[in-house]
Amino acid sequence: MGIFVCFGVSSEALPLESVIPKKDLPKEWTLIHGPQTYNKKTLFEHINGQAELFFKYGFQKSVFAIYQSKESRENQIELDIYDMGNVVQAFGIFSRFRNEDRPGGFGLDSYLDDHSALFYKGRYFVLLYAVESNPDLLRQFSKLVSLRISDPSTPPREISYFPKDGLKPGSIQYFPEGLLGHQFLKRGFQGTYVEKVEDKNKAKTEGKEFHLFIAIFKDSQEAVSALKVYKNDLSKKGKVLSGGFIQFGTAGLRGEDPYQGKVIVLQKGFYLLGAVGFEKEEEAENGLAEFVKNVK
Amino acid sequence: MGRRKFIKTISSTLLGIAAPNILKVRPSLGKSEKTPNLEYRTLGKTGLKVTTVSMGVMNCSDPAVLLRAFDLGINFYDTADCYMRGHNEEMVGKAFEGKREKVFIQTKVHVHDEKKMRASVERSLRRLRTDYIDVLVWHGHSSPKEVSDPNLFEFMSKMKKEGKARFTGFSAHRNMASLLSEAAKSNFHDVALVSYNFTHSKDLKEAVALAAKSGIGIVAMKTQAGGYKKQRMGGLSPHQAALKYVLMDENVSCAVPGVTTIEQIEECAAAMGTSVSKGNLDELKQYQSFLRGRICTMCGGCIGECPYGVSRSDLLRVVMYHDGYENDSLVRELSQTITRQDIQRCSECPSCSVVCRRGLDMKAQIQRVQEFIVRSSPARRTGTLAGGESIAQG
Repeated sequence: MGIFVCFGVSSEALPLESVIPKKDLPKEWTLIHGPQTYNKKTLFEHINGQAELFFKYGFQKSVFAIYQSKESRENQIELDIYDMGNVVQAFGIFSRFRNEDRPGGFGLDSYLDDHSALFYKGRYFVLLYAVESNPDLLRQFSKLVSLRISDPSTPPREISYFPKDGLKPGSIQYFPEGLLGHQFLKRGFQGTYVEKVEDKNKAKTEGKEFHLFIAIFKDSQEAVSALKVYKNDLSKKGKVLSGGFIQFGTAGLRGEDPYQGKVIVLQKGFYLLGAVGFEKEEEAENGLAEFVKNVK
Repeated sequence: MGRRKFIKTISSTLLGIAAPNILKVRPSLGKSEKTPNLEYRTLGKTGLKVTTVSMGVMNCSDPAVLLRAFDLGINFYDTADCYMRGHNEEMVGKAFEGKREKVFIQTKVHVHDEKKMRASVERSLRRLRTDYIDVLVWHGHSSPKEVSDPNLFEFMSKMKKEGKARFTGFSAHRNMASLLSEAAKSNFHDVALVSYNFTHSKDLKEAVALAAKSGIGIVAMKTQAGGYKKQRMGGLSPHQAALKYVLMDENVSCAVPGVTTIEQIEECAAAMGTSVSKGNLDELKQYQSFLRGRICTMCGGCIGECPYGVSRSDLLRVVMYHDGYENDSLVRELSQTITRQDIQRCSECPSCSVVCRRGLDMKAQIQRVQEFIVRSSPARRTGTLAGGESIAQG
């Protein structure tokens, strides 16, 4: 079940060149370069060492094109479309590239600023870069590309498990390995939360950031084993603290990590769910309780 | 061969590379060691004393890994302006705020017009939360012409003069031998970041030596080249062995293995300060043979040789993921991209004409790929996971 849930059903790959818009382009724009395709062997030639990061996220192949304004040769837009194999990995690489929550209204989720647009849809991650500032044009191009991607995949379901209260918009990320920098946690999602602080006038302001995470394993046995390894690691390098988990109704671990701060970890099915780096126990526990409840 | 049997003197060479005098006595390479015996080398004419095992930050997902590396004593960190659209530099800047003078940071800039390059450097400085970059390198030079371009040199000179960069250089993923040879002819570059590991040619070793002799500090990346796991070769961890191989070339100042976890940086750091005995040298030689017989290095030498157009590198990567990484999910993912037709063509072909320059037994490897694919994913046989013309439905 774990594998099926987390990697999703791999949709059929489209011929990537066909996704590159060639006709019905925004007025006064024309395709001047490409489509140029890259595979695992040649991606380095296009994006240098960053190719390694794409490989970790399951890169299959990509296509690149350049559009030019008929009015000014300098005014160009570069388009990269990456086939990442499945929707989880496409979301993952998207989540590592977006800066903050500035949705553009295309794809399954997107980011748009003055010079760049990025989004993911199905197994594809799309990146557009404009030499001259023009978010409206970037949006137009993005929508054109998005329409040409027929992949019906929905966003990874784990994203919906994260509690909304306190979640920094656009902060959920997927890591294909080394979640929280730990080998034993393997892959999973992480979201950033902001603790609420009351000032002198009892007005609520934003305080310290902490993370909720969900690590994904093959089965519940593997999740239990990872929890043991985590406990062992904390007992060697940090602290294991006592504390019940009755309210969660599941096995868990409480402690202090030398680099992450306070930690609570719980096991549910083939997942480990946790909170790290918080100051207010109650807030972290409440968030975690909802997180656990949301996991189907 | 146990790691505790290491002795302090080495008197021979490993695979044609002279062992450096920096190797010291150390009883263990185990990653449980919390404080590695730090080794330092001088980064060419920069004079910077860098830890031989340094860190490539690009794939790192969590600042905890950087902080662990810092606590271990590692002092040289390689990032780039473009990695994750600047997030990687931001992570480095945040992690080392307040520790800036204790670390050396190397980042990169792409060739553009001066206005853009200047803006890129300014952005890097902001993200890194610093007012100087220790080593600023051109990202991904590929031709000797770029290496000796006086206009590019002029920009780097300005960056130095303005105090934005202390030292400058270039990085390269291909044509490295010719680029290093070209760089050695001029005084343009202080540092070269090059892909260097046990799979590379004698030409590259010679070019590294030439460049180092001219004063260029050599930083080695991609040092692991798909190293195999510990269980496969007795005492020495393959990752450590691959690192040792690179560091035994005294022309290399430091290696920047790309790590993603605390466990990996601990393992890499533990390779510092180790001595190797004659026995361990033999073990390393065996390790190299072991890898050479198993890894498709994607050298491209066999491209176009199969009359049926089968892409061997994709097939052989399945073997590497299965045997080397022991990562079933990677096997499964890659298997989904391999067509039934390719596998059938290979397994039924009576006379494979593809010859591997590195001595891989192609026929045997392809048979293994077929076994893995059938074994690795029962769901595929029922057609529930894969699509298109993959083996599941083909």
